[in-house]
Amino acid sequence: MRKLPRKAHLSDAALAVALLILAIQLYLFETVLGAVLDGYRAILPGSFFVSLALTAVALALAFKAPDLEE
Amino acid sequence: MAQEPVSKPFWRRAFPLDLHEESRYSRREFARFLAVVSAGFTVGIGYLWGRKRPLEGAPGEGARHEPVPLEGAAELKAGESKLFTFRDADDRCILLRTHEGKLRAYRQTCTHLGCAVRFDGKRLECPCHMGFFEPDRGFPVQGPPTRPLAGIALEVGPDGSVRAVGDLAKPTEGGDA
Repeated sequence: MRKLPRKAHLSDAALAVALLILAIQLYLFETVLGAVLDGYRAILPGSFFVSLALTAVALALAFKAPDLEE
Repeated sequence: MAQEPVSKPFWRRAFPLDLHEESRYSRREFARFLAVVSAGFTVGIGYLWGRKRPLEGAPGEGARHEPVPLEGAAELKAGESKLFTFRDADDRCILLRTHEGKLRAYRQTCTHLGCAVRFDGKRLECPCHMGFFEPDRGFPVQGPPTRPLAGIALEVGPDGSVRAVGDLAKPTEGGDA
């Protein structure tokens, strides 16, 4: 079988960070939703910008992280 | 970087994968999927931020509504309760008098899965999953609920009549009447 091309592969570290970011986002969203249901809306602006920053990192990793061969 | 052999036909360079490799899912694609899901959470938080109306069952921040007179509230004895509707016919609430003699009002919606809570004289009880809330501030004390009940602000008129006037901004704030 022909060896599969490794182009566009991510490193273990990049993938681990992407997974970690998603776990943080899930926890953050659950926490924010619970707080909003309790009537605490003051945390929304801060949570949004933290979430936005995490998404920016995740997008950068997914689209801009160097390939393994580079 | 390894170069493709020049001798390969054009079609091979355009379609470098064999049929059995088509279902291959690269790490890069997986990372992109993770990033998109992450962006979805951000959009969700942004939606919650931009939404003006409170979520179902969530108290508005000190929102006031058309005052609702609570008939017979003054006659309630300690450990007794009565039901009333507030914002609309579906907004069912419970008014109770604690053993300290204070009047308290809460939405009847349990913060676990939305069943109607009732007052057993000592605690507010959700019969669906045996969740209990203490009557003074609506905090969960036993069972699956983890969030306090939504409180209703009460107001006592000069003639002693009691009216429901709005949502408590925070469940921890007193709704003394």
